[in-house]
Amino acid sequence: MTSTDEELVARSIRGDPESFNELILRWERPIYALAYRTIGREEDARDVCQETFLRAFRALPGFRGQAKFSSWLYRIALNLCRDWIRRERRTPIVETPADVDMIELAEAAEPSESIEDLIARKDLVRAVERVMARLPEEQRTAIVLKEYHGLTFQEIADLVGCPLSTVKTRLYQGLTVVRREMAKGGLGS
Amino acid sequence: MNTTCTYRGNREDLLVASLYGDVDPSDRAAFEEHIAACAACRRELDELGVVRARLGHWTPPEPARAFASAPAPPVGRRGVWAALGAIPAWAQVAAALLCAGVAAGVANLDVKYDRNGLSVRTGWSAPARGGAPAAASQVPVAAQHETPWRADLAALERQLRTEMRAFPAQATADAARRDLADGETLRRVRALIDQSERKQQKELALRIAEVATDVRAQRVADLRNIDRNLNVIQSNTGVDMLRLYRMTNDLAVRVSQTK
Repeated sequence: MTSTDEELVARSIRGDPESFNELILRWERPIYALAYRTIGREEDARDVCQETFLRAFRALPGFRGQAKFSSWLYRIALNLCRDWIRRERRTPIVETPADVDMIELAEAAEPSESIEDLIARKDLVRAVERVMARLPEEQRTAIVLKEYHGLTFQEIADLVGCPLSTVKTRLYQGLTVVRREMAKGGLGS
Repeated sequence: MNTTCTYRGNREDLLVASLYGDVDPSDRAAFEEHIAACAACRRELDELGVVRARLGHWTPPEPARAFASAPAPPVGRRGVWAALGAIPAWAQVAAALLCAGVAAGVANLDVKYDRNGLSVRTGWSAPARGGAPAAASQVPVAAQHETPWRADLAALERQLRTEMRAFPAQATADAARRDLADGETLRRVRALIDQSERKQQKELALRIAEVATDVRAQRVADLRNIDRNLNVIQSNTGVDMLRLYRMTNDLAVRVSQTK
């Protein structure tokens, strides 16, 4: 039977390293995805992901379960992303490695997909990355947490520490900017 | 867009909530009624839905995981087993025989087959022999006559001991050399494979890029052709229309003149 996060946390606090490994396996990918979509760099996203788990491990004895473990992890990761953005003093840049991009593209091809469709899809992804990278941090975070991590409005509000209506406003504004920018780039509806 | 919308509540919040299927139950009925009547809100919801679909294409790259290779067995153990494995079979058999012989010798084994049948016993458990010490001193000589293989066994033992003394050092050195050579070979093979993969990836990327460029160039050329042809058709149509108009006009003039 699969243990819940809370059970694994309890066992980790009691000194069972395997339980923490299980938590890492369970949450590594979402945390990495959050970091990547927030700061846009693979290497740095990996560092943020590792640092998140390191900090979580150190702070685990102090975790009292007031929030869900995942929310707690998200908060650590978001704080680290915010630190990264401030430290780098720049907007996130989504890197697209030039030498492997087409390989990944070819690997990602659906069997029935033509080269043209493939390129169109990749162009679309790049456009999304570019537009998202230009969004203000609060709007981007709200979209990432809602769109890709499926958090509720209330969870996002708790996580980023703002009122519920602010979360919705940020989402609306962010999505509207994305829609406008995509329409400019010929990717509208 | 929302200039034509007359909704009095918090429209943006409700649009977002509706977009994610999370409208508060207390607002749901009123907002759904409004949506049914408001084309602007419906259009905006549709467009935001398209944005969500576009966003869904954005998948982060796979996180690079630490490459876990099978741990190498400890060098000491591997060395011992490798050295044992390197000993020829004949030497292993001889060593086994030697061990058996030595064990028999140490145990002072006495094997007899006489009228009483086969009897095996160690010298330590042999009954005390009666007689003078002189008689006792003659026993080894008699024993040597009775067991002529003892001399051969002793010679074999000496030879094997000499060889075995020289062998472990050589075997260990050989094994270490082989390990080093294996490691080096493995490294080279891996480097070659990596190099080959990188080359293939670059070639594939180049090919795909070429194909993509060709497709785009062809598409642009086709679009230009279509555009040019359309212009020609439009121009021809315009000329024909003008001619038709003049003919109609002339006809009308003639008809009026004949009247």
